Amino acid sequence: MEFGPYTGARTEGDMSQDPPKWPLKLLRFWVKDEYREEIEGDMEETFRLNLKQLSPAKARRVYTWEMIKIIRPILLKNFKATPTFYRYAMYKNYFKIAWRNLIKKTAYSFINIFGLGLGIACCVLIFMFVQDELSYDNYHEKGARIYRVIHGEATTADPKNGTFAYPPWVWNNAPIGPALKNNFPEIEKVVQFSGRADILLTYGDKLYQEDGIFFMDSTAFEVFSWKLLKGDAKTALAAPYSIVLTETTARKYFGDEDPLGKTLKGSDSPGRGNAGDYTVTGVMEEVPANSHFRFNALLSLNTFRKSRPEIFDYWGYVDTYTYFLVKEQFDEDAFKAKIPAFLSRIRETPDSRYLIAIEPLKDVYLRTTAERQPGETGSLPNIYVFSVIGLFILVIAMINFMNLSTARSMERGKEVGIRKSIGADRKSLITQFLGESLIIVFLSTVVALIIVLIALPNMTGLTGKALHIESFLTWQTLSVFLGVIFVIGLAAGSYPALVLSGFHPVLILKGITRSNAGGASLRKVLVVFQFTLSIALIAGTIIVYYQMNHLLDKDLGFDKEQMLVLDYNYDGIVNQKSGAMKAELEKNASILSVAFSRSVPGSYFPHAGTTIEAPDGEMKNMGQAIFQVGMDFVTHFNMKLVAGRTYSREHPSDSTQALIVNEAAARQYGYKNPADIVGKKFDQWGRKGEVIGVVKDFNYISLHKTIEPLTLPFEAYASRYVSLKIKTENTVETIAAVEEVWKSMAPHRPFLYSFLDDDFNKQYQSDFMFKRLFTTFSCLAIFIACLGLLGLATYTAEQRTKEIGIRKVLGADLGNIVGLLSRDFIKLVFISIVIATPLSWYVMSQWLEGFAYRTEIHFWIFILAGCIALSIAALTISYQSIKSAVVNPVSSLRSE
Amino acid sequence: MKKTKLGEFEELVLLTVAALQKDAYGVEIRRELEGLLKTTLSVGAIQSALKRMEDKGFLTSEFGEPTQVRGGKRKRIYSTTSYGHKVLSEMKEIRATLWSSVPTLAHELKVI
Repeated sequence: MEFGPYTGARTEGDMSQDPPKWPLKLLRFWVKDEYREEIEGDMEETFRLNLKQLSPAKARRVYTWEMIKIIRPILLKNFKATPTFYRYAMYKNYFKIAWRNLIKKTAYSFINIFGLGLGIACCVLIFMFVQDELSYDNYHEKGARIYRVIHGEATTADPKNGTFAYPPWVWNNAPIGPALKNNFPEIEKVVQFSGRADILLTYGDKLYQEDGIFFMDSTAFEVFSWKLLKGDAKTALAAPYSIVLTETTARKYFGDEDPLGKTLKGSDSPGRGNAGDYTVTGVMEEVPANSHFRFNALLSLNTFRKSRPEIFDYWGYVDTYTYFLVKEQFDEDAFKAKIPAFLSRIRETPDSRYLIAIEPLKDVYLRTTAERQPGETGSLPNIYVFSVIGLFILVIAMINFMNLSTARSMERGKEVGIRKSIGADRKSLITQFLGESLIIVFLSTVVALIIVLIALPNMTGLTGKALHIESFLTWQTLSVFLGVIFVIGLAAGSYPALVLSGFHPVLILKGITRSNAGGASLRKVLVVFQFTLSIALIAGTIIVYYQMNHLLDKDLGFDKEQMLVLDYNYDGIVNQKSGAMKAELEKNASILSVAFSRSVPGSYFPHAGTTIEAPDGEMKNMGQAIFQVGMDFVTHFNMKLVAGRTYSREHPSDSTQALIVNEAAARQYGYKNPADIVGKKFDQWGRKGEVIGVVKDFNYISLHKTIEPLTLPFEAYASRYVSLKIKTENTVETIAAVEEVWKSMAPHRPFLYSFLDDDFNKQYQSDFMFKRLFTTFSCLAIFIACLGLLGLATYTAEQRTKEIGIRKVLGADLGNIVGLLSRDFIKLVFISIVIATPLSWYVMSQWLEGFAYRTEIHFWIFILAGCIALSIAALTISYQSIKSAVVNPVSSLRSE
Repeated sequence: MKKTKLGEFEELVLLTVAALQKDAYGVEIRRELEGLLKTTLSVGAIQSALKRMEDKGFLTSEFGEPTQVRGGKRKRIYSTTSYGHKVLSEMKEIRATLWSSVPTLAHELKVI
């Protein structure tokens, strides 16, 4: 029993005759497998011997203690060397080598990682911007089934002719809605709305002018996916004088109170709704930022209908947007095919050229060609431009990476030779180099993410939209991102991987490949490519810059500086008091002149049909824009009169029988010499009389457009704005004084003022955004390209240390050396200039097409761009070349 | 003398292996040394010395017969290599040379 078999059933008492189990497990875990049997045996034997002399308990304690003492380095398993890890040993080596290379050449690693990181970050930011632009109106659940109507005039009266003579409008008549619903069974719901209206809302002592309110059809919530938080979606906009507020608006008036059922006093909205008490019937979530039109509140369209029922049957009255929801099975082409028949039914006269077309909701933000939109529209070309810039930056950063890798390939060549001679095959070398570039790309990604996180809050200032990282952290974008990162890694690493792995070990180790310069020609091509992109971007930036300055500085034909504009939204009381107010304001010495008008340049203006006697004596009816102005408008804005006179108090008949037109309008009626239109008969909006004057064309809308014909009838009491020309000094005091006058004369209206030049320049918001983005990203692109150049220059200088030393010993001076090192690169930059010039000339002239008034693309711009690129490149290179040129030849020649 | 990298304890173990011949396995070596040194030694101490010397090439080993006392595990019988022998005898010579000069030195010191 004492030396009985080790295994088998035992009784309880015999357990003490056995060694404890757990130390054995410990032993098996720690001790090398090849020693296990021997040591286990020794331990067992020792235990048996001890049992004879000691108590079982003591023997067991000794056994355990001994077992612990076995933990000695030489006996322990070498976990790293266990067979399961052997197959990764090579990878471990790859990592080690990659890491050593990164550490050893800190400057290269920095340029690679930081440059690529910056490139990726730019791409991510641009991608986020583009993604946001593309996401417009995607949140509507029924979005794919929503269409809208655009209206215009066909080139001929044939109903089958679907070509618009002028850009169509989204904004048009109201009867089209019911007509569509009755004629097209595939339409499920029609939503019509009107706006944007600006009305004054009052609740208790809270009084605000709400800009951007729409009179909205009751079907809105069934078509658009706006979330109604309170109230009934079906009835909220049904009754006249119902109002639905967004959350912020509701909080503005009611604070924490429940707004439902409360009453807001509303002023009249001229031409749309009479003044009245609005009942809050709903509170909705804020309209998402990516909507093609947004608002703070919705009034029921029935308010409009009740106030002015006649216009809902009048095909000629323009104040409605018409959207509609189609049924599930919808054939767009079939629908379009039915439009001519529909048109011939609804056209009121046989010679009518009224034409409609439909636009799907997904196209309304970026792809619409229509004008008079309910909100802002985006620009598809801008999206393309930014995507291309993003791609450029990434390509430039990748080229840096490829260039530096190939340039250093000779150093790595030795390693490749050794690896090959001890048995590495080509596949494993490719794996190694691709893996290395993936590591660098991975590190760059980390850098990129940090840059993105830092830059994101500042992007709002740059793009005018708040971008959030959360909305991009979807699995789709992340997987695309990872995929792209992977591809970048492979693409950037492909050249060094394929070329280095193809080296012949014997030749490399002999050092023979040094003569074929390790992909020098490819490197040159890539540098040229890089600099072509950079120079094109520099030239583009200069042109964008000049064009924007041109927009701001061009003489528009009227005074826009120092012009304070007060908006009182056609308020009847203010209009009645206009004469007195003008007199009161002009008492102030800082106010040079005051004028009332319905429109100011850059603001909204209506269109009208006017009949004027043509040169041949025929009365011709044509449409133009119309600025209804007060007595002093022309003189106040310092517009030039080409012929005739302006309105005058000395001619009382001016108030009803006179009309001023602009030169374009004179031309429109066939007068080659604008002066000839003076004295001709006109008939406009029920007024008859004579044209009394012609003003020189002035840009009343943005310089994207040419000056269209315009009439400026005199209308004393239908104004919306007071404009005050004020002196430059003491602006703040002057505004305060104006506010005093305003409060005393129009206490029921809030004092809303702005400066005309600011308002006018708001039309260029998207252009400025374009300029900012373009400039920023171009600078980054150039910066990254220079980083790469610096890396290459450093490398070349290092390669030629000996040569420089010898040249210096033989008497070369600093200039010689710098010239020697710079010559090659400068040559490349010159080639790039030659390639970039026509390229950017073409692209930028395309961009300038979007402006009616454009700066010329002078040739000096390209010379300047070239010089900038050249000097940046020269500076970058000279830093390194001077550094190596001033080194004492003794130290460079001694080093080996 | 070239560096043999043979520690004092290792030398003792190596000598024991040489002395025990066919019986030179872990437990026996330990019992022998414990008897001589009048101290207790751990299995780990003996084993690590054996393995280290095997790595250095002083020892070789092969499996012996399994016994019941060992729970059916085989012994590992160690034997010295000729290199191990050479190193041992070199050590002995060095010591002998040194010892031979010790008494005189001690005597002279006493005289002073």
